[in-house]
Amino acid sequence: MANEKVDVVIVGAGASGSVYASVLAKAGKKVVLLEAGPDWQMSDLISSEMWGRRIRPAGAPFLLEGKNPFGYAGQAGWGVGGAALHYFANHPRFLPNDYKIKSEHNRALDWPISYQDVAPFYDKVAHDIGMSGDAKAEEKWRPAGQSYPMPPMKTFRHGEIWVKGFESLGIRMVPAPVAMNSTEFKGRPACIYDGWCHVGCPTGALANPTVTYLSEARKAKAEVRALCSVTRVLTNAQGTKVAGVEYYDEKKVRQVQEANVVVLAAWSGQNSRLLLNSATDKHSKGLNNSNGLVGKYMMTHSIAGINAIFDEDIQNHLGTIGAQYMSYDRYGKTSYKDAFGSTYITCGAAQKTHDFASTRPDLFGPDLHDYMKRAARGFTRISMFGEGLPNIENRIELASDKDEFGMPLGRLTHSFDQDAVALWNANLEEGQKAAKAAGAKEVWVGRAAIPTTHLHGGTIMGTDAANSVVNSFGQCHELPNLYVAGPSIFPTEGASNPTYTILAVSLRGAEQLAAKWATVAG
Amino acid sequence: MDQIERRAFMKGAGLGALAFTVGGAEILLTPSEARAQGVPFRLLNANEGETIEALGETLVPGARSAGIAHFIDHQIAAPPEQALLQARIMNVRPPFANFYRAAIGAVDRGSEKVTGRKFAALSTTDQRDFVNNMRQNKIEGWTGPSGGFVYTILRSDAVDVVYGTMEGYAALGIPYQAHIVPTKRW
Repeated sequence: MANEKVDVVIVGAGASGSVYASVLAKAGKKVVLLEAGPDWQMSDLISSEMWGRRIRPAGAPFLLEGKNPFGYAGQAGWGVGGAALHYFANHPRFLPNDYKIKSEHNRALDWPISYQDVAPFYDKVAHDIGMSGDAKAEEKWRPAGQSYPMPPMKTFRHGEIWVKGFESLGIRMVPAPVAMNSTEFKGRPACIYDGWCHVGCPTGALANPTVTYLSEARKAKAEVRALCSVTRVLTNAQGTKVAGVEYYDEKKVRQVQEANVVVLAAWSGQNSRLLLNSATDKHSKGLNNSNGLVGKYMMTHSIAGINAIFDEDIQNHLGTIGAQYMSYDRYGKTSYKDAFGSTYITCGAAQKTHDFASTRPDLFGPDLHDYMKRAARGFTRISMFGEGLPNIENRIELASDKDEFGMPLGRLTHSFDQDAVALWNANLEEGQKAAKAAGAKEVWVGRAAIPTTHLHGGTIMGTDAANSVVNSFGQCHELPNLYVAGPSIFPTEGASNPTYTILAVSLRGAEQLAAKWATVAG
Repeated sequence: MDQIERRAFMKGAGLGALAFTVGGAEILLTPSEARAQGVPFRLLNANEGETIEALGETLVPGARSAGIAHFIDHQIAAPPEQALLQARIMNVRPPFANFYRAAIGAVDRGSEKVTGRKFAALSTTDQRDFVNNMRQNKIEGWTGPSGGFVYTILRSDAVDVVYGTMEGYAALGIPYQAHIVPTKRW
């Protein structure tokens, strides 16, 4: 079944897709977003760990392999807002050294753009969606920019308690930049610090896409079609341009949506899976994949979690799931002698009972209950995010198993290299020193497996078709009316939580597309 | 959006109940209430329910009376995308009933190999010893999903029903502070 042709069809109504939808709809384009999951409403966002699982996929559309398989379903989104409907709203930016690792260290890859190219969009995003933080305090580590539109969030004892411990190691902690409202912003209320952000914030205090760019897109007449699973990107007969997408609607009926421009904004992994599954006689290895780089260079952050119990009631249920404090003092790529890569340090996230339980997986029965009582009063933790460098062996491929629409599942293979493992270990050691210096009564870490978070890569940007899948705007080298958006286009991942950079890079790409519309879509 | 107060959200709550079928009619109950009222399982058989309850109680005291078997039974009977189970986050491939059946079978087979009895028939001490070995993948002759993974998933389910509820928070002295309250204190 064919639908009326539109200007642009966007696959995925998450962070990056919402930016494109907002910019293009406001530019007068007819925009359709196809979202595989439901059209969640604010009233669906129940404050419960269990109920919060509904906004994540029910099983991954990927087979997860490698030495360090990526924890897909917990990270991914399912429904409008995407993963950013349940994200922690930590909004650190990438630093200048993230964009030029190859030039500065002869390691990994360079971005084809610099920090200065993205910086204006960081500022725009902050004022578009609302961010709280102390920009001046961050400028000890980065070039100056605009202030955030709101002052830092409130702090609580379970975050404050870490600061002196870090200071004793020469690590300066400053208010964490977050996409949450410390004051009312654009009609959205200030946060009430109940700590349920990670199951979806129903008040609008947390800037998830449904209350920011997607809301603006809808006001500008963008159409969101929920429960529509895209299976292929379609091309013209010559294979020189994309012509639209094939998808299955809410009733599992095959549909075709023709469009002048297609934007893939379906998260890292799924963007590659779609391109690989869209092979034609003109694109036998998948769309835009003559160089074989689609699906390559998948990256994730490691998390060094340092757990502690203090001998006082630190009220760890208060606050937000975002960090209270952060530091870039270990962000230099050579911060540790025997490791390579950046580290982003955070502390002060609110804790729930599942968090307590998951940090002592060895305990059960009465021992677990005793621990839960202690943790309820005094548990808090540090999270140190470690960079993984791009490795071509970390990849997405199509598997022989298929989903309900006959689309091959993806196979996501991921292993940390020696540098990443060394960085994780160094962070565990550093964090434990900070915890002891802070006066924690009990300090422990888990070493059974390296936790993974934040998926990047698969359709990386670069200077030309020889070394990349897209250009710095997300435009495909081989098919100029096909754009890819989101962290899949990052050629390196830094150590910062990615969403702020996803939004900034998407805004840059969307504005370029709108400005060059006639050339791209004509 | 207008200024929103927590109280307003609480007043509007109503989306969290689990629907159980009692006497041909669907009513909203907590798993604990469903167990207390003897609501029949949808998919589990009596033996499977007994094993889940015994395993849940070993993992987290209170899981039996909190209705862990009714919770799991309810969730594996629902469409996967509606399930509240940690299994969906741990990348278990739907239908989730397949995993739980395999897990329960593995536990009972393992228990019979080691002790000659099904898990539910063991003493409390033996159940604890068995689970401790299971979580470390140390049960000789184990077949099915790995013991460590079974432990992780079922432990999470037990944590859900005991500590993940409003009652569980209250028992630990933690203010729940919901924006939108799960109905029936669930």
